[in-house]
Amino acid sequence: MNKTSWLTKIILVVVLMLFIGLPFLLLVLSSISFGWQWPNILPESFSFRSWEYVLTGSSDTWRAVGFSLLIAVTVTAVNILLAVPAAKSLVRNQLRAKWLFEAIIFAPIVIPPFVAVMGIHLTFLRLGLTETVLGVVLAHLSPTLPYMVRAVVISYNTLSVDWEDQARMLGAGTISRFYHVVLPHIMPGIAAGASLSILISLSQYLITFIIGSGQVVTLPILLFPFISGGDPAIASAYSLLFAGIAILTLLGMDAALKKYYQKKKTATGKA
Amino acid sequence: MWQKSKPYLLLLPAIGTIVLLFFGGLFDGLLKSFGYFPAIGETRFEAAAYTELLQSSEFWASLVLTLRIAALSSLFAGVLGAIIAISLFLLNESTKSGTSQLWHRLFQLPLTIPHLVGGYIIVLLFMQSGFLSKILATAGIIDEITDFPVLVNDPFGWGIILTYAWKEAPFISLMIYPVLARIHRSWREVARVFGAGSWDFVHEIVLPAILPAWTIATFIVFVFTFSAFEVPFLLGVTYPSVLPVYSYQLYTSGTLADRPEALALNIILAAITILLGIVVYYFSKRWNVLKGWD
Repeated sequence: MNKTSWLTKIILVVVLMLFIGLPFLLLVLSSISFGWQWPNILPESFSFRSWEYVLTGSSDTWRAVGFSLLIAVTVTAVNILLAVPAAKSLVRNQLRAKWLFEAIIFAPIVIPPFVAVMGIHLTFLRLGLTETVLGVVLAHLSPTLPYMVRAVVISYNTLSVDWEDQARMLGAGTISRFYHVVLPHIMPGIAAGASLSILISLSQYLITFIIGSGQVVTLPILLFPFISGGDPAIASAYSLLFAGIAILTLLGMDAALKKYYQKKKTATGKA
Repeated sequence: MWQKSKPYLLLLPAIGTIVLLFFGGLFDGLLKSFGYFPAIGETRFEAAAYTELLQSSEFWASLVLTLRIAALSSLFAGVLGAIIAISLFLLNESTKSGTSQLWHRLFQLPLTIPHLVGGYIIVLLFMQSGFLSKILATAGIIDEITDFPVLVNDPFGWGIILTYAWKEAPFISLMIYPVLARIHRSWREVARVFGAGSWDFVHEIVLPAILPAWTIATFIVFVFTFSAFEVPFLLGVTYPSVLPVYSYQLYTSGTLADRPEALALNIILAAITILLGIVVYYFSKRWNVLKGWD
């Protein structure tokens, strides 16, 4: 260890504390505070009343968590079904006007999706899609699908056609080729895309608000009144819950991917 | 026939979804921004919403505010992100891979935090009676709550800028780290042989190497903050408001007459982002940012 690396380490620890540690500590402190007058650095007394309210006192919380996850998971499942064939086609084939297809699919990354949602709002209203979970799911598709396609395209890029040909020569049909050769290879891409898709869907506020018209109450919709001038303790507790769910979903995805490969490994090990 | 059209059929569901839900929405909005709305008997095309918008001082104030917030946010996020990435890189050279992996993970945490939560963290930290103000008061630097500057819900947009700097710095560092990872250990040694210290090494080798990727990443943050809604909605003021919030205010103002104006504003916003997007695409291809060098 030389001098510079110690110096970098100390700087890093300080930056990390300020950058990551402090915000979280503050949220936790604020959520269990019971009165926190200026200029006290610590709250005068502590209580779990805000957590009690958030976790058990109000049935809204779990309904909102349920709605958020239901929408995020549905959106992601649809995205996977749409993205896998599209990615295959984009990577494997010499398409005419390929740039156009790519421009169409990736456009929602550049153009803010709320523009399209505001435009389609009245049409959704007439079709009876506003105030419904289905409507919100449809509205969440365009902001998320591009990221899913991108992630799967990256995976497909590294999958050689030879492997599939080999499987074909050994007599594997379309379905078993996909299941045993293609899927294991593109799984990390699907998982990465799914993580992004879930994160983006979970944190949508405006789109959900316009199409859901306040009737489809997801976590961000529930959270907003509290953080824009509500009870700080409850706002902090909700913020932590919201952030926690986002992080847990990602960790869960990571664990599921690991488990998938472990299973694959033991399956091939036995055979 | 099947072999020829199969690739297009595979693309069809995804393309169809985006065309229908996204471009359909854009087109729908475009028509209505010109006042064309058959459902309520309006079948004329007129650019009234656009001329009204371009003549209103609210629009220009909003545009200036949006540009300023996006520029400052992306600049702060860029500097902070570069510092994080370079520190991680220097740390990586001197420690075991397990520990530095953990550091990477920790620094990426803000990426996973929803924007609204990030905004609220800034509220708790920077509002006039917030945590920083409490620390300064306890330290005796300020005496009254009002001595602390208004940084949240302020007309300049500091709260918004701070939130984005915090949220997007990890993104910048994530984008430039792969480039840093390609700087070989041997370069460091060669630099040392020629008498370069750590600072010289960073200044002469690391910074020039990451410049293209850094520029693109920062510009992506600029485009994103330019059209983002949640954080300015939470941390901004009613007037002037950034373009997306202004559009929302017009759209939900209650009078149907304002809706074409909101949609016209959206179309202008979309046009600007398309332009910015093309610039990013052009330069990232030209500088070969994503592939780096061999």
